[in-house]
Amino acid sequence: MPEILKSMIKEEWRLHSTMFGSLMFALFPVMIAIFSFAGSLFLPLFETIMPAGKIVLLVHYVFVLFGLSVGGLGLFSREVMNRRFGQASLLAYSSRNLPVSERKIFLNFFIKDVIYYFLFWIVPFMAGLAFAMPFIYIGFDYFLMLFLTLSLSFLIGLSAMFFLSTVFAHSSRFFVAALVLAALAGIPLAGYFSIDLLSYLPSFFLLVSRSWEQLAVSLLLIIIPSAISIIFLKADFPERKKVYRNSLVPLSGKLGFSSNPHFVSKDLLDLQRSEGGPGKIIFSFIFPVAFIWMILFVFLNLIPIANFLLIFSILMGMIASSVYDWLTEYDTFASYAFLPVRISELIRSKISGYAILNQVPLAILVLAAFWTGSLSYLFAGALVFLSVSSYSLSIKIYLTGLYPSILLYNAKIFLVYLLLGIPVMLALIFISIFNPLYLLASPVLIPVSLYVIKKSCMKWDGKEQLAF
Amino acid sequence: MEHVIETKNLVKKFGDLTAVNNVSLSIKKGELFGLLGPNGSGKTTTVKLLTGQLKPAGGDARILGIDVFRNPIKVRDLVGIMPEQETPPSFLTAEEYLHFVCKIRKLKNAENRCDKWLKFLEFENQKDVLCKDLSRGTRQKLMFAQTFIHEPKVAFIDEPLINLDPIIQRKVKDYLKVYVRKGGTIFFCTHVLEIAEEICTRIGIIDRGKIIYEGTLKDIRRKKQHLEGLFLKLVREDRDA
Repeated sequence: MPEILKSMIKEEWRLHSTMFGSLMFALFPVMIAIFSFAGSLFLPLFETIMPAGKIVLLVHYVFVLFGLSVGGLGLFSREVMNRRFGQASLLAYSSRNLPVSERKIFLNFFIKDVIYYFLFWIVPFMAGLAFAMPFIYIGFDYFLMLFLTLSLSFLIGLSAMFFLSTVFAHSSRFFVAALVLAALAGIPLAGYFSIDLLSYLPSFFLLVSRSWEQLAVSLLLIIIPSAISIIFLKADFPERKKVYRNSLVPLSGKLGFSSNPHFVSKDLLDLQRSEGGPGKIIFSFIFPVAFIWMILFVFLNLIPIANFLLIFSILMGMIASSVYDWLTEYDTFASYAFLPVRISELIRSKISGYAILNQVPLAILVLAAFWTGSLSYLFAGALVFLSVSSYSLSIKIYLTGLYPSILLYNAKIFLVYLLLGIPVMLALIFISIFNPLYLLASPVLIPVSLYVIKKSCMKWDGKEQLAF
Repeated sequence: MEHVIETKNLVKKFGDLTAVNNVSLSIKKGELFGLLGPNGSGKTTTVKLLTGQLKPAGGDARILGIDVFRNPIKVRDLVGIMPEQETPPSFLTAEEYLHFVCKIRKLKNAENRCDKWLKFLEFENQKDVLCKDLSRGTRQKLMFAQTFIHEPKVAFIDEPLINLDPIIQRKVKDYLKVYVRKGGTIFFCTHVLEIAEEICTRIGIIDRGKIIYEGTLKDIRRKKQHLEGLFLKLVREDRDA
């Protein structure tokens, strides 16, 4: 293994294990395996709702989505790490003071990410499935094939996102124009959208057809976008100084209705001025939401009793909490520790920022209601979205404070997060299937969220601040 | 004379390491007290304890008569703190950051205060640059400005001169001298003995978390000792003990 890659893998391990201990970090894949095992045992139950083949197809798309989100994270993680640890301390920046090209560093970084996510997510997921095999009657050869095709699905998503991020880095205007064109072209195509079309995902088609051609197509879909990304890599130049006129004061004036307008303004400026600009929201929020839309749109045809808009609202509420991760990414408490600022004050300001940014998913929800002709469900959808969004935000704040993207990698915290979040989400989905009107009671989650946030503020104010 | 900084038997532990070990200090109004010590001796941890940024394992601390561990926010509201590492938010400009601090401290005349410091420390031409793109020296100027922007009665400054050019160093040293002459109190951490010798009225030497010497610069001179010689001797003796 090349020395740079070996060192990057060591660095990744030490980075995470020093944050919350080697054991808790090492237990993370064990937990993924347990969840996968438990989920696999429910497969026969899912088969009563949806044919097995469609479930497998859905899982493939979940892996594509996972690849897309990992790629999006990789795109911005260097900037975040730079803020936390300083440039000189990370190998990703070593091209600046060592005779190594930025391209070589990026290639190693890409491979390191693939290995890291493969070992920490995909292998444990498959291990969980392997343990469940005797109970769900999956043959060993099918299991091996599934291992291969799911890995390929993840890599297809990852490569696609690296490719898109390269396009974005060269020209954000071109990127946005391409997205708009794709959306416009997609509208007539959407009429023809069907599961049959989706099943042409080469990695899934490989599982079904077991042909060398599909393996080759899958590999090409991984290699070509990745190669283009590496060839056309746009290195950032740290010596370039970014200059802005004072926007904090006027923006704070406009946000005077919030409790801490200067903090909220700062967070919004962080999002706007950091690498990727507002495009980050496209990558990390709108992209997965669009993806879930597509998957639900197609798969819910198999469950006619399920209401698309309501289930979409519930899932979007969960995904919306990722916006909080972005709001906390660009500052560390070290910037405030010497000022008269409480952690709870910062948390409250992030919640204000979160509430402002939640207008984007609400707008998407309105569009979705128009699009699907479900305006009669819009009110219930909006209520359930706001309820789930505030609930998932509150448990995230309680468990991770100002460090969601770090502390969620602690196995224990992640487990509690899932246990508090998933049952509520599933219960709401089942309620929506049983009788959509019952979702009008979902705002009961809002006082629960307010209580959890109050407790969170007391919890984090009482703690000596973590040094991340 | 009134004591504005008082600590009794202050202790801070990080796991098995005792970073601050029974530190007791009393600093009067108008003093420029220098806490000197080798790297890792406990200077920064002492400042963080005294300003309520860390919780102690034992002991008391009062700043301007306020219990630091019961009212850390009140203390940080009254004092100015210049941390050892310059950590202004990355994506605010220098000018925005000073305005941001004024907002946090609920100060009036933010515009005038910001302009005054930008001019005094000669970084007006950098005011629109993002903090992350500023040089270390300019970031240090920025941190110095935020420390004194609300004209505090007490300031804790941790290695404030290390990245500054000689012209700005001179300005800062003169400012600190005038500040204490007007009744302000400064708790100054450094390992640069020449600077301490030039501006401090009294010093303490800390090693391995313990105060091993306390006295005025006048005392040292009266005994015909040199600060560097005294420092090296005491630290060596402490380590040999």
